[in-house]
Amino acid sequence: MKHTNLVKNLSLLLVVLFFGACATNTQQASNGDAYTGTETVKFLADGVPDRVFFATNKFDLTPTANQTLSKQITYLKTNSSLKVVIEGHADERGTREYNLALGEKRANSVKDFLISNGISSDRIKVISYGKEKPANPASNAQAWAQNRRSVTVKTTN
Amino acid sequence: MKKFFINFIFILFATRVYAGVEVDITRGNLNPLPSAISDFYLDVNTKLKDNVKKINLEHQIPELISKDLSRSGLFLILDRNSYIQKPDLSHTQPRFEDWALIKAQILVTGKISLEKDDRLRVEFRLWDIVSNKELLALAFYTTPDNWRRVSHLISDKIYERLTGESGYFDSRIIYVAESGPKTNRIKKLAIMDQDGYANKYLTLGNEMVLTPRFSPDNKYVTYMSYYKNLPRVYLLNLETGLQDLVGDFPGMTFAPRFSPDGKKIIMSFAKDGNSDIYAMNLKTRIVERLTDSPAIDTSPSYSPDGNYICFNSDRSGSQQIYVMKSDGSNVKRISFGDGIYGTPVWSPRGDVIAFTKFHNNKFYIGVMRTDGAGERLLTENFYQESPSWSPNGRVIIFYRETPADNSGHGGSAKLWSIDLTGYNEKIIQTPTDASDPHWSALLSKK
Amino acid sequence: MQHNIKISLIGHLILIVITSLTMQFLIKKVELPPSISVDLVDIGKKTNIPYAPKYNDTKSDKIEKDRVVANQAPPKIVPKEKTDTIPLQENIKKIQDILEKNQKPEKVEDKNKQTSEFEQKEVFDPNKIAALIDKSKKDNSEINKKTSLTPTQSQQKNFVTGSLTLSEQDAIKTQIFKCWNIPIGLPYNENLLVRIRLKLNTDGSVISSEIVDAGRMNTPGQNYYKILAESALRAVKLCNPLKVPSKNYEKWKDMQLNFDAKEMLKG
Repeated sequence: MKHTNLVKNLSLLLVVLFFGACATNTQQASNGDAYTGTETVKFLADGVPDRVFFATNKFDLTPTANQTLSKQITYLKTNSSLKVVIEGHADERGTREYNLALGEKRANSVKDFLISNGISSDRIKVISYGKEKPANPASNAQAWAQNRRSVTVKTTN
Repeated sequence: MKKFFINFIFILFATRVYAGVEVDITRGNLNPLPSAISDFYLDVNTKLKDNVKKINLEHQIPELISKDLSRSGLFLILDRNSYIQKPDLSHTQPRFEDWALIKAQILVTGKISLEKDDRLRVEFRLWDIVSNKELLALAFYTTPDNWRRVSHLISDKIYERLTGESGYFDSRIIYVAESGPKTNRIKKLAIMDQDGYANKYLTLGNEMVLTPRFSPDNKYVTYMSYYKNLPRVYLLNLETGLQDLVGDFPGMTFAPRFSPDGKKIIMSFAKDGNSDIYAMNLKTRIVERLTDSPAIDTSPSYSPDGNYICFNSDRSGSQQIYVMKSDGSNVKRISFGDGIYGTPVWSPRGDVIAFTKFHNNKFYIGVMRTDGAGERLLTENFYQESPSWSPNGRVIIFYRETPADNSGHGGSAKLWSIDLTGYNEKIIQTPTDASDPHWSALLSKK
Repeated sequence: MQHNIKISLIGHLILIVITSLTMQFLIKKVELPPSISVDLVDIGKKTNIPYAPKYNDTKSDKIEKDRVVANQAPPKIVPKEKTDTIPLQENIKKIQDILEKNQKPEKVEDKNKQTSEFEQKEVFDPNKIAALIDKSKKDNSEINKKTSLTPTQSQQKNFVTGSLTLSEQDAIKTQIFKCWNIPIGLPYNENLLVRIRLKLNTDGSVISSEIVDAGRMNTPGQNYYKILAESALRAVKLCNPLKVPSKNYEKWKDMQLNFDAKEMLKG
């Protein structure tokens, strides 16, 4: 218990440092047009959202995404036998092939963040679905924001 | 002085050659050519089997030729009811006056007979009604149930004789047939004739498939499949139905396309999240990395001579079109307009590149010269992409999606074609929703 | 040791079976229409098909009751006696001679054709153009000899264009514009200039038309030129007779039309 607390604190510290670094740089740390709502979000466990959102044509993590991923890291550290697949997705406002590449970049942003926070790389797989699997099938700005995402999915193998 | 003298002599001489007035005609009309396509003459001695007889080939073949030519936008097929000369004379020299009266400028006549070996002989003649002469006369031999292809071949010959470029009617289209809700779309490979006929599904839809492309000899298709949840490029042999993974990449491969000689597949490989362009020799299996940029490089397409590759990269900060030599050297950005550019596809004629453009929340299909100059946007819509050229580089096929409503319903995806001129936009009917079309080369080599 | 090999063998077998089973995700065997052979025979050179007989159906009544259709398209008969309303000139005679030698069976008699509006346009011998094109196939033809004196750029500038006023020129251009259906697929980066020389009657009807660079018609790799030339000849025929200035016949009785499709096809 103590141990997990320590990890929690450490990772929080890291996150704070991360923000600090970004904030001093530019406005990059803002959420841009990334979705910040909670609709469509599912949970890996209580209080652990499964997805993070990205700004249009971007694959860098927003402050909100970092917070979410920190929770995932904690969760993964608690359940150390768990493996995940990180799905990268894009909205429908781009060409299919470019979106496949973009989804891959988004999924890898998340993967890199997890690894840099101590999650073993062989617990994480990535897959890009480009624009092929929208969470919200509507054709409006909100749906597109909800679809620019990466989703962490628990797997058995 | 000497020069002047020579010139002077020449001028004297030249003016003596022709002393008339001269008028420069630099304008004409691009109206569709008024054309008559007569029903064919069915040889009275031909004993067609009942099943063939039922098809009414003497009517169906000219009908299909009419459809092909009419669809191209370059021919105005005159109403058959206005024809004075009856099809029972279609095997004879036409009476040009009868056809000129209905304002036809060209006429197609033909004759159908059955050979001893039960092969169908389809003969056609193309006549210039204005100049009263025969322009073309050819005969085709084939099996009766192959009459559609014969019709398309005849259309190609007529098109070529009158426009000066080869046709595109004897060709196929491969595409992705889509069904089901957007959130759980079922996608199958499908193939059909260029006119939407003879639609066939090649996969069952158990796994998602994307971006199929024919090999130059039309025998193979390379495409991307999520088989076993591993998004990879595959190669499908259309004759045997067998498929193969293309290469052994430790990550996603996508956006495949054949080289013009059919020996290589060029594609993107996402290594540690970053997509670069690779070419794989299908025989030696040797893989060549062609770009090495931390940005996304995808949608590669060879020039018809195989010496260059155009592709899509966001290395400048936004998606733009680049051209490089086929060994990866001499990378040059060619798109500089407002908005972002994707899916460059080199025309089979070699002089222009088709692309998708996104600007002010609209999608465009356009063309630009290979140095990026002369950008022309052909069509604007809510969403459209994936241009593919007809075999003669005259027509572009692409897919267009309509927006879904706020409940996620009502959106559709359909195949469309448009002439290089930006005119003659037409939908291509498919049994289901459709996307990612790719146009084959002509089925029969010249 | 042997045990290990056995295990390995069994393992591999299982793998192979699994792979062969699972790889059948493309269960549907592709059944494309077989690549059927379509044989193609050029029958154009052997063309010797019968003529359509005179059409006697009531349908023709609909169009024009008193349209003169008699004497049309008699099989392979070259009219010996010409009752043309237009005096034939020397060179037409020549072409007729060539035509007879070089017989193509699409000869149409050109007499008694003045009744319908359409046939008015047909007042000059429709076979001339065909003959010209046929001739161009024979390299030893007279016309080709003539056209070996291909005009050049410098010569072009020295034409007596001044003899037609701008508005007179425009009037001709406007007429041809409507008649000329430009073949759309021609390569615009090639030389797309076809020069056609006309001899005109005082009423603007065309006595003869002749392609200046007829030799190019059959130059390999310049197939487009032939197509362009044919379209220009069709334009001349469709616009025949030309509406011409009422005066100064001597000025325009010889007229050269320079058809250039470049601008149209580039745009």
